[in-house]
Amino acid sequence: MARNRKEQDLDLAPSRREKKTLGQYVLALLLLLFTLFCALPVLLVFISAFTDEKYIVQNGFTFFPKELSMTGFSTVMRYGAQLGQSYLVTIFITVFGTFLGLLVMSMYAYSISRPDFMLSKFLSIFLLIPMLFNGGMLSGYIIFTKYYGLKDSLWLLILPLCVSTMNVIILRTYIVNSIPSELMEAAMIDGAGDYRTFFQITLPLLKPSLAAVGFMMATAYWNDWQNAMLYIMSDSKKPLQLLLINIQKSIEFLLNNSNVPASVRAAMGGTIPQYSATMATVIVVIGPIMVAYPFFQKYFIKGLTVGSVKG
Amino acid sequence: MKAFLRNTWKHRAHVVMALPVFLILFFIMYVPMAGLVMAFKNYDMTKGIWGSPWNGLDNFKFLIASKATFVQITRNTILYYLLFTAVGTFLNVVLAIAIDQLIFKRMGKTMQTLMIIPVFISYAAVQFIVYAFISSDTGILNKTFQMGTRFYSTANLWPWILLVVKVWKDTGYGSVLYMSVLSGIDSSLYEAADIDGANKWQSIWHITLPSLIPMVTVMLLLSVGNIMHSDTGLFYQVPRNNGVLYEYTQVIDSYVLNAILKTSNFGFTAATSFFQSVVGLLLMLLSNFLVKKIEPENALF
Repeated sequence: MARNRKEQDLDLAPSRREKKTLGQYVLALLLLLFTLFCALPVLLVFISAFTDEKYIVQNGFTFFPKELSMTGFSTVMRYGAQLGQSYLVTIFITVFGTFLGLLVMSMYAYSISRPDFMLSKFLSIFLLIPMLFNGGMLSGYIIFTKYYGLKDSLWLLILPLCVSTMNVIILRTYIVNSIPSELMEAAMIDGAGDYRTFFQITLPLLKPSLAAVGFMMATAYWNDWQNAMLYIMSDSKKPLQLLLINIQKSIEFLLNNSNVPASVRAAMGGTIPQYSATMATVIVVIGPIMVAYPFFQKYFIKGLTVGSVKG
Repeated sequence: MKAFLRNTWKHRAHVVMALPVFLILFFIMYVPMAGLVMAFKNYDMTKGIWGSPWNGLDNFKFLIASKATFVQITRNTILYYLLFTAVGTFLNVVLAIAIDQLIFKRMGKTMQTLMIIPVFISYAAVQFIVYAFISSDTGILNKTFQMGTRFYSTANLWPWILLVVKVWKDTGYGSVLYMSVLSGIDSSLYEAADIDGANKWQSIWHITLPSLIPMVTVMLLLSVGNIMHSDTGLFYQVPRNNGVLYEYTQVIDSYVLNAILKTSNFGFTAATSFFQSVVGLLLMLLSNFLVKKIEPENALF
């Protein structure tokens, strides 16, 4: 902890030339404008979710609503059971996939970075090729569903995002550059086996890199809609993103389909979960990532150094 | 050979540790590569990829026959790649330098935190945010400026919309990598430049920018292999897969996704995928070769 504090002070130390010139204020202003450009749309989601539905229908989306309401969230709660189920599915694939990926990728990164391991050359090339060449979506789709028989299986939400060449390279770079190899050698001399050296020496020291890579992986799992859309059929396996897409589809259907009797529409009145409710759903879907993000941010710069693939 | 076997046996633990990734890559990445042969087959769903009869170059003839679609999706893919890469790299570098130069460090950190947020929002959610801004009845732009523009049926506005969305989503995070390089520059270089009487712009031009070049090269090289692939969510979700907008929004990946979901045009799609993979590979090899000629240090492999 003490060490962290010190590093932070270092980061915040007065910069090289600390004159508060006019230029600095202009720069700060420009950066502030860009920050607003990035942050305001996210803020709009939160405001709209609490804006009264009828108010949006009449006045459009706005940053300054006159009437607030919670109807958006109460509409979302109508998806109750399905929403809970989708949350479970998303949490499961995110947690399981991220930990599985980090474990197998760091083992691979460690193995190919061992000096005098002759097979590591081949393993590095084997790792690199998928970055240069891939079979594409269609061929993958047919092979996963027809030959592996994995249609509607959660494995197809987990495995395709589990291993990425880029992440293995990031981990490998960290092992080579930031973990002194003497530590591993010393452990070996003290009689630790290969596995023990990895799990007790290397893995704990790899933490900053694991945190950065892990958070990016978790985000990718959490946000994945494409694999779900391609492979998942049953409601019980639908992750949140697919639920979000389905909700939008059903709204469009209700709004555009003339076969829906007018009486039904009238009965639903303002409760077709349109504006405030979709925004409330968006919050429900992106919320956990937003909450987790600040805790991982400090690892981004430290843990994400990419080295070259050569080695 | 004997030495190799002995070495492998000695490292058997490392072989075991490498095995899970090896298997995942093999089944998830390598087997579908073999599946690309379906570009040369008359795909029959009941017979599978390997059982379907060969049909030579028929699929590619079909591809040339329906040239309009093929040209359109390929053109969109490549032009958007070029646009996003040029604008993206430029903005990432500018933003990284700007935050690095700012002397209000605490403020810079807070702003950076906020700028990174959009990268964590899935495109399935982003499309609702975009809708809030540009829908014709309730969108902020139309309400505030009384423009009355029907964005969702005006195709030629979409390159701008997609560019703005892309910049909004990726710039903050994209600059993080460059910031990590900047924080590693030896500050004595700047001090020396100061003493020699260099002004701020000169030290940026002569010290900061050159130190970023290796990272820019690596990132560009890595992205070249993806020239035929796009951010599918951006092109599928954000325009709501709207057929009216295809002329400007459909890229190869979103076309393939649609084909799979509708189980249609597998021959055409297979030929396009084959083309996509091969072109990606060739461009990657070519650019790495060129970088190796000019600056061997920065080449990937």
